Amino acid sequence: MVPHHLWTWFASTRVGRSIFRVGPPHSNLERSQAMVSSLLLHVQPAKVNRHALKASYSLGLGLISLYLFFILIGTGTLLMFYYVPSTTQAYDRMKDLQFVVSAGLFVRNMHRWAAHLMVAAVMLHMCRVFYTGAYKAPREFNWLVGVGLFLTTLGLSFTGYLLPWDQLAFWAITVGTNIAGYAPIVGPKLKYLMLGGNTVGQEALTRFYALHVIVLPAIGGLGVAIHMWRVRKDGGLSRPDEPVSVAESLPLAQLPTNKSYGLMELARGTTPQVGRDPDDEVFSWPSLIFRELVLFLVVVAFVLFLAIFWNAPLEELANTIHPPNPAKAPWYFLGLQELVSYSAFWGGVAVPALIVTALVVLPYLDRGREGVGVWFARERRVATTVFSVCVAVAIALTVVGTMFRGPNWGWVVPWRTPPPAMEGH
Amino acid sequence: MNPKPLGDTAVTRRGFFQLSMGWVAGTFAVAATAIATVRFLVPNVVFEPAQLFKAGAPEDYPDGSITFLEDERVFVLRRGNTFRCLSAVCTHLGCTVNRSDKGFHCPCHGSVFNRDGAVVSGPAPRALTWFLVTLSKDNRLVVDKGQNVAHDKYLIL
Repeated sequence: MVPHHLWTWFASTRVGRSIFRVGPPHSNLERSQAMVSSLLLHVQPAKVNRHALKASYSLGLGLISLYLFFILIGTGTLLMFYYVPSTTQAYDRMKDLQFVVSAGLFVRNMHRWAAHLMVAAVMLHMCRVFYTGAYKAPREFNWLVGVGLFLTTLGLSFTGYLLPWDQLAFWAITVGTNIAGYAPIVGPKLKYLMLGGNTVGQEALTRFYALHVIVLPAIGGLGVAIHMWRVRKDGGLSRPDEPVSVAESLPLAQLPTNKSYGLMELARGTTPQVGRDPDDEVFSWPSLIFRELVLFLVVVAFVLFLAIFWNAPLEELANTIHPPNPAKAPWYFLGLQELVSYSAFWGGVAVPALIVTALVVLPYLDRGREGVGVWFARERRVATTVFSVCVAVAIALTVVGTMFRGPNWGWVVPWRTPPPAMEGH
Repeated sequence: MNPKPLGDTAVTRRGFFQLSMGWVAGTFAVAATAIATVRFLVPNVVFEPAQLFKAGAPEDYPDGSITFLEDERVFVLRRGNTFRCLSAVCTHLGCTVNRSDKGFHCPCHGSVFNRDGAVVSGPAPRALTWFLVTLSKDNRLVVDKGQNVAHDKYLIL
């Protein structure tokens, strides 16, 4: 019996039906029922637009971020069974994970690489949404939720950074919290609140631990739920405007009632799923589910690959007297650190605040309806150019901070002198 | 109370008080909870080294020496019979500065300070801080990191 038959056989047994409610779907009606009668599957629509399935459009970046989030919750929970958030024990526990706990090193590797990948995936997802104009009406609010999730991701990464209590952890957080101290008016108080004192010590470790394992994951999980809910309510993934069909131009009450799916498919705005030309839509089971499963396996395989061949770095025990030279933040903050090396206020407070403000107001300022659902649409040349310049500057600063800065934050040429100690080496 | 028909927007005295009291009570409850939560998170006691500490006897420091005290992250400078104490915490982002030939430099973002702690180059916004040095009755140097002084203020013995 091949596994597929084993599965359909089990789903059609009395026990199988009691679990899945609907047996293996054979008709379109049953394919819809399979989606809406399962708690896990009903999050997604019974039918989905063909455009949303195009990997070349979405690049699957949102789903990749979500899958990495799942991996991080799983591995993070495992790590919690051994980790102790104490300045005297934390580092020893990291060493235990490396050398004593079975698969401890491997789980930590997975957690670290998935965290880096998630930051990258979330950033790329944001770029994709911008370049395809997907934040435009009616999706403005979902872009805001996305900005919140982006900041939550950075917060999770930053708080997790302190927990190993090694040199990198201690000095990255010392620098990071001092940056917060430069904020106008509330800065010093905010720093004191974050650290639970004046310096990075036990109180700070306790606070970052609580933020890392419960507060921020809870905010992130809730945010993801709202984000995905709104994707559906706003009419599915963004796509170019289509010619309005006859059914759509009719009032809702006159819509054909012989559809195999119900009112849960109604979405607000100009892009409801019902009323579309049926040729544009395919059943989520199996078209969407299958693609999602494949992508999940690819993401897991990639994280496993990284975790097998590269170990997560762990520097010496935190030394509160001697910062490493140069002391570097994680790669996604190195652009800001490069700015901070010119001015702590501009690099640490003003520029980040400007970036966040620009991201928040963007969908409400850029109100043109053109170019939605197309990569680099002609009508959006100005927006695309401005955004690309900002991204290029950010990348340039990050590259400079990562590769061209050595001891005392002085200039080094990476191909002449040995590059400074970086993560992953 | 009989339910009013929909669309009746006339405000009665009782309705007005009920609504306004409701809003006042609700606002108060939310604000009190928020303030109490933030206040809860601000620690009243911190378990950190004291700001005021003894730095040994004056004789422990040779003439012309600059001594780094690791636990306190300060330099003690002696010239002749004068003593000063300089913070080793960079005013930029809190890294520990190192001594160099011409003064001090910070390894994190490259700030350079001269021997008086003044900024020569780099992103540091202020000079390194000088702390008040006094002598205790049992002939020990006492540094108060809570009191900043000018760079030319010495303890003269």
